Amino acid sequence: MNPLRVVAVFRRIVAQFRRDPRTVALLYLAPLAIIALLAWVLSSQQSGTANVAIVNESTSPVGLIASKLQSALSQQTGISVQPWTTDESAARQMLKDNKVDLVVILPPDFSVENPKIELLTLGLNPAGEASVLPAVQKALLGLEALANNDAPVPTIERETVYGSPDATQLDSLAPVVVGFFAYFFVFLLTGISFLRERIGGTLERLLATPVSQAEIVLGYSLGFGFFATLQVAIVLAFVLGRLGIPALGPIAAFAIGLGVPTAGNPLIAYLLVLVLGLGAVSLGIFLSTFARTELQVIQFIPIVIVPQGLLGGFFWPIGQLPSLLQPVARILPVTYAIDGLRQVMIAGADLSSPQVLLDLVVLIGIAAVFMALAAATIRREVA
Amino acid sequence: MAVAPIPETRTTTSPPPTPATPGPAVEAVALRKDFGPIHAVDGIDLSLPSGRIYGLLGPNGSGKTTLIRLLTGLASATSGTARVLGVQMPSRENLAHIGYMTQSDGIYPELSVWENLSFFAALYGQTDRAALHRSLALVELDSRAGTPAQDLSGGMRRRLSMACALTHHPAVIFLDEPTVGVDPALRVQFWDHFHRLAADGATLVVSSHVMDEADRCDELLFIRDGHVLAQGTPGELRKRVGTDNLETAFLSFASQAASPRAAESAASPRETAR
Repeated sequence: MNPLRVVAVFRRIVAQFRRDPRTVALLYLAPLAIIALLAWVLSSQQSGTANVAIVNESTSPVGLIASKLQSALSQQTGISVQPWTTDESAARQMLKDNKVDLVVILPPDFSVENPKIELLTLGLNPAGEASVLPAVQKALLGLEALANNDAPVPTIERETVYGSPDATQLDSLAPVVVGFFAYFFVFLLTGISFLRERIGGTLERLLATPVSQAEIVLGYSLGFGFFATLQVAIVLAFVLGRLGIPALGPIAAFAIGLGVPTAGNPLIAYLLVLVLGLGAVSLGIFLSTFARTELQVIQFIPIVIVPQGLLGGFFWPIGQLPSLLQPVARILPVTYAIDGLRQVMIAGADLSSPQVLLDLVVLIGIAAVFMALAAATIRREVA
Repeated sequence: MAVAPIPETRTTTSPPPTPATPGPAVEAVALRKDFGPIHAVDGIDLSLPSGRIYGLLGPNGSGKTTLIRLLTGLASATSGTARVLGVQMPSRENLAHIGYMTQSDGIYPELSVWENLSFFAALYGQTDRAALHRSLALVELDSRAGTPAQDLSGGMRRRLSMACALTHHPAVIFLDEPTVGVDPALRVQFWDHFHRLAADGATLVVSSHVMDEADRCDELLFIRDGHVLAQGTPGELRKRVGTDNLETAFLSFASQAASPRAAESAASPRETAR
């Protein structure tokens, strides 16, 4: 191993990036643009107004509960309440006509002793409709005030161990997105740039020099690791930071960055993403062996990247996956990065946490395996 | 027309060289490379003493590039042995003494001339900036040091590619079609330089499919279908078939080699008709 040759490969990659501003822009601006878009969608989704109708079929201390529920709901932000009625079929029709998003029904047997409440939605998009529920739950909890004396109240409670019940979807997605972007871009860029070495004849030329396969892989890791490092630093700063820009002349005040709270040390989060990215460099080199054109490298995205997005804990916890898929998820590097990032950024874990350590060790192991595979296949003759 | 018998193109028949180093610079023993059913290199024996320019001549697909890749250790032989400077290939350490100019330019298009040259030089351990500048001057690219390689003309890229193969002063130099796309004036300079390198003791193996360059080589190897048809100085080869045209000579050797092979296809194609 000759460090000078590793440095030569590293410097060459840096020089190549310097002369390719579009790729640099892809690396640094695209994640910011996508995360900003995601943040925008998620935040405006939460501030959208849900129309709620109340149907009162109960005969017990009737109007009182219904109107208290109505006023409690109307105090929730993002909810607009129709005056309560007793006509359920009319309310159902309003649902079908998209005039209301949710119908709260106090059933005939509703009483202070039996505070059972039914919630009715359209069912076309259960997940989307569920986004109204937290506000309704909150309002129902507020009904305590109306419950006469010491009668039981609707007990709907929401509690979280980490973060807060008020945490937005963005807060829990942000750590994941940071890791995923690093992985995706590093894989794509190394895969394509190494393929270009193969088809452009420069790999042949490299292998005709005394440089070893390990030195090439290491130089690549340094080069792409360097750019991935910058990318993660920028993305983390954008996600975690929030810089208020005061109004200046005709330009209104605005803020740069999302200001997502992090409970843990961003440096540990960064370390996790870096190791993940180093694995992606070698995976890119390794898989470029099986591609003949740039298009064929792109074809690895649905095979390599998308499953990691689906199974890695991005959307669903590993434990909720079908049992056949759980072992698959457990060999994917992104799974460990996402878990580690959540532990650090949401639960505030540090390197003393066995779970974070395990994630880190597994990621290092996976990166080492990919590096060995990459070094072993560099010489593979393109026949 | 009387056809002179072709001696076996074995090591023994090569003309007495000027032995600069003990043993041949480039050696092959029963070297063979198969790609599936195709015998790209079909049992070649070579012994090339140092300090000379050897021309590998043959049509496209005759096995020249594969032979060079075997000799540099870039391809692994199906059977047989390749040695350069007495060291069996592949040997990564030995590559420090070998220069290889590939058929494709093998340079990074987005990098500048200087960045390309200094990168390859660094891999060979050559970091002397003055030496790099001399290499650039030699290929007349010193005024283009900052130009990205993709903005160079085809001939300029070829020249850069050559500079990248030579900056580390290799003792054995393989040049795969080095003058393709290079204008005639510069081509003359290239060959002058090749001769200077050889005079300094370097061994050059230059492949080409154009015969007009052949006369500039000290010795020629006619290659076809993975075999060495004939080996000798340009003058010798012409004399053997009684022609003053190397192209005619090649075709003559090729047809002689073809006739026995038509009968027993791969048995011993180097045997020649009488």
